[in-house]
Amino acid sequence: MLRRIAPPLVPVVIVLLIFVVAPMLWVFRTSFNELVDGAYMVDALTLKNYTRFLGNPWYLMNTLWFSIRIAVVTTAISVVCAYPVALYVARTHGLQRNILMTLIMAPLLIGLVTLVYGWIVIFRGGGLLNSLMIALHVYDEPVRYMWNIKGVVILLVYIGTPYIVLSLLDSIEKISPYLVEAARNVGASRWTAFWKIVFPLTMPGLYAGLVIVFSLNFAAFAVPLMVGDTSTQMIGLVIYREALLNNDLPFASALSVIMIAVNALILVGMAALFGRLILRKLESDR
Amino acid sequence: MTRFDLGGMALRLFTALMMLFLIFPIGVTLIVSLNPREFLLPPTGITFEWFRAAWTSETFLRGMGVSLVLGVSASLIANALALPASMALVRNEFRGKGAVSLFIMSPMLIPTTIFSLALYIYFVRIGYGSGLLPLLVGHTIHVLPFAMRIQSASLHRFDPSLEEAARNVGAGRLRTLVSITLPTIRTGLVSSFALCFILSWNDFPISVFLAPPGWTPLPVELFSYIKFQYDAVAAALASSLIVLSAIAMVLIDRFAGLRRVMRG
Repeated sequence: MLRRIAPPLVPVVIVLLIFVVAPMLWVFRTSFNELVDGAYMVDALTLKNYTRFLGNPWYLMNTLWFSIRIAVVTTAISVVCAYPVALYVARTHGLQRNILMTLIMAPLLIGLVTLVYGWIVIFRGGGLLNSLMIALHVYDEPVRYMWNIKGVVILLVYIGTPYIVLSLLDSIEKISPYLVEAARNVGASRWTAFWKIVFPLTMPGLYAGLVIVFSLNFAAFAVPLMVGDTSTQMIGLVIYREALLNNDLPFASALSVIMIAVNALILVGMAALFGRLILRKLESDR
Repeated sequence: MTRFDLGGMALRLFTALMMLFLIFPIGVTLIVSLNPREFLLPPTGITFEWFRAAWTSETFLRGMGVSLVLGVSASLIANALALPASMALVRNEFRGKGAVSLFIMSPMLIPTTIFSLALYIYFVRIGYGSGLLPLLVGHTIHVLPFAMRIQSASLHRFDPSLEEAARNVGAGRLRTLVSITLPTIRTGLVSSFALCFILSWNDFPISVFLAPPGWTPLPVELFSYIKFQYDAVAAALASSLIVLSAIAMVLIDRFAGLRRVMRG
């Protein structure tokens, strides 16, 4: 048995061990190294990189807490944007559905830089949106939408929403239409039927979408790099800067370990919350 | 008896607005790239002048070359690794199968930042420094889970008795693979290759971390360009990337069902 199954699996497993597992372990090891002035990093066993970050209220507030807040806010907005779309798409068929699905997935396959270009045309000082708003006398002076936190939030919502639509759609399509019909037949209003039947059943999809998009946004570095400004200290971007611009690999590694740990902690919290929400729902319906 | 459906109308309107939001930057880019008067909307006519400029720019051409080489090699390697593995996983039940599949899919769960940093540090550590290899490895591993997903899906629909029949009439393992298995799952292979290629071709995060000097992939070139000027030449380049992605999307959807492979 093993002799038959192992050979086709061995190459991919070896590649992953060499190029994923070993590098990830090495990041952990590197986080205890020391950066010596003038020299390159030196093998050491120090907690300095961790205390430099965790012992510094400025970093904690402006990097870690800031990233968590941005990720929470953008994920929440994405959910609000995605939920109605998923409900609507679930009802469509044929050509209309194909068109909608193509539009939803287009941003996932078109590169980030390409999308950013379009947003710049819309959002820059003399861009489309400002020209329109000034022509409509909404305001007189161009407003800055890009190269600050506003641009980062808009872009993260833009990229996150399709993922949440897709994972919600998975759940919604599993719901039997007879359930809703039955509820309506026994006199539930459309709203009650949605709230009591459809919504609880979409929890797994919602949770899956939240996990993906929260993790993506919490770790984001390409978006803040492209449309943020120097005050946008998201942790992913700080890692990028420390590694490539300051060449401080030990500190960048420690930040990575902290990022993974915090992300895992938040996901565990979310799992507990969702488990409890579903349980409470079941109990109250009993 | 049909009451005026306010909820349904609102849902429809909201979906329409969201679609506009999703498509807007893409549409704007396409319009700017075809508009003779730089940037001024609405369009005053149609020109391919910006495309000519973009497609003759030496920097962009070099970037295209790099992205092409990178995309083709990463897709080939990832698919070559994924094919035997997905065959083994789809066709056999064994203890630890779930763990093995999870392990192979795990690169999807690691944030790009940390994965790229890890490769960067790793190659510095083993004394390789910066060169093309980390970039190629990064792209390959990034697309590998997607290759696994499409190939597993197409193998699920494959009837293994076809292979048994070939073996029964005397075909060897290799012969069976080449003349029965591969042609049968060819659509899966094509869409898997298309998806891997387009993900690699459009990738920015991994490339910006790992590209060595002289080997800048196209998206990174485009980014350094629009950092200083975002004229219609950049729009033409961006539009070319959009058109290519659209073709790949149609291809993938035709053969594998886009939704199944992009879901989370």
